[in-house]
Amino acid sequence: MAPQAQRDRGVGGSSGGAQVVLFQLAGKSFAVELGQVEQIIDYREPTKTPRRPPHVEGVIEHRGRYLAVLNLRKRFGVAEPGPAHPAVLLITGAGPDPRVGLVVDQVLRVLSLPSDGVLTPPPRVFGIRAEYIRGVANAAGRPLVWLDVTKLLATAEAITLLA
Amino acid sequence: MEGRTLVRRAARGRVQTPVAREQVLLFRVGEGLYGIGIRGLWEVLSPEGITSLPTPQYQICTALAYRGRRLPLVRLGELFGVSADTVPPNARVLLTQGRGQPLGLLVDEVLGVVDVDPQHIAPMPVLASMLSPALFRGLVGKEDRVIILVSEDGLGEMAEVARFSDG
Repeated sequence: MAPQAQRDRGVGGSSGGAQVVLFQLAGKSFAVELGQVEQIIDYREPTKTPRRPPHVEGVIEHRGRYLAVLNLRKRFGVAEPGPAHPAVLLITGAGPDPRVGLVVDQVLRVLSLPSDGVLTPPPRVFGIRAEYIRGVANAAGRPLVWLDVTKLLATAEAITLLA
Repeated sequence: MEGRTLVRRAARGRVQTPVAREQVLLFRVGEGLYGIGIRGLWEVLSPEGITSLPTPQYQICTALAYRGRRLPLVRLGELFGVSADTVPPNARVLLTQGRGQPLGLLVDEVLGVVDVDPQHIAPMPVLASMLSPALFRGLVGKEDRVIILVSEDGLGEMAEVARFSDG
C-alpha cells in the first residue's frame, strides 16, 4: 500500500485503533495518547523557576520527584485565564525530562479511536500546524485534535490557537 | 564523612543508619527561594561594605573590589530575570568559590540555614528554565517548600564570570 493511501485511511495505528485521553482546552476537544499519560492529578500552585518560558509555570513535587509544569493554554497563546481548578496530565516519554505536567482545563474520559476514524489533519487545525497533530477525529459531532505532545514539547515555535 | 561506613551499632544493639545531612544557606532572589551549600561559603557581606565597579544595569556579572582583590560578582537577580531597580535593603553578597575560584553572589536577602538530606536532592527539570541546567545543583523539599539549589561550580563557569576573574 502506498504511504499516501495508508495515511488517507487513518493514522490510528496498525492494531485497530488507539486509546487516548480526551480533554478540553479553551472550549475545544483535544487528546493525547493514553500510553503517555502516567496519571491525572489535581492542579496545585507550582514553585516558580527562574527564567522559565512563558508557558512554564514552574515545578511541582510528585512522589519524591520534581517535574516541570506546562500550561497548554499559554503554550497555545490563549490569553483568557483557565478554570479555577484545572487538571494536570503527567506525561511521560515526551521532551528531555522523564515526565512533565501538562495543565489542561478539564479531563473528560479515555476514548478508543478506531483506526479508520482518525484522519490525517489538514495543514492547520485551529491554527496548530499539522506537524504537531497525530490526527483528527469526530467526537460526538465535534472535532477532536489528537496532539503529538512529543513534537509539541520539542519546539519553541509560537502557536496561536484560533477559534 | 565520605569513605567512612555509615552504619554503626548503637549501644542497645540496634543497627542505625545515620543520615548524612548537609547545611544549606537559604536566600531569596525576587520571590524565589534558593539555597547554597555552606561548605564553600567563606563570608556573607552587606553590600555597603564593598565596592563594585560601574556596570551597565542589565549586566549579569560585575567586578567586586574586596580586600585588595578583584572578584567576579554575579547579580543573581539579573541572571534570574527578577532584578529590582534598586538593591533591596536586605541584600547580601555571598562569598564562595566556583571551580576553586573566589566568586561573589548578590542576593536579595539571606533567610537562614537549614539541614537537608543530600539524597533527596533531585535534578532540576530541563524544561523548567531556559538557563543552563549546570547552574543548578537541584531541587530539595523542606517543610512544603521547594528550595532551588544553585551550583557554585556552574555559576563559576559562566563566560561572564571568567571575564571578571583575576586569572
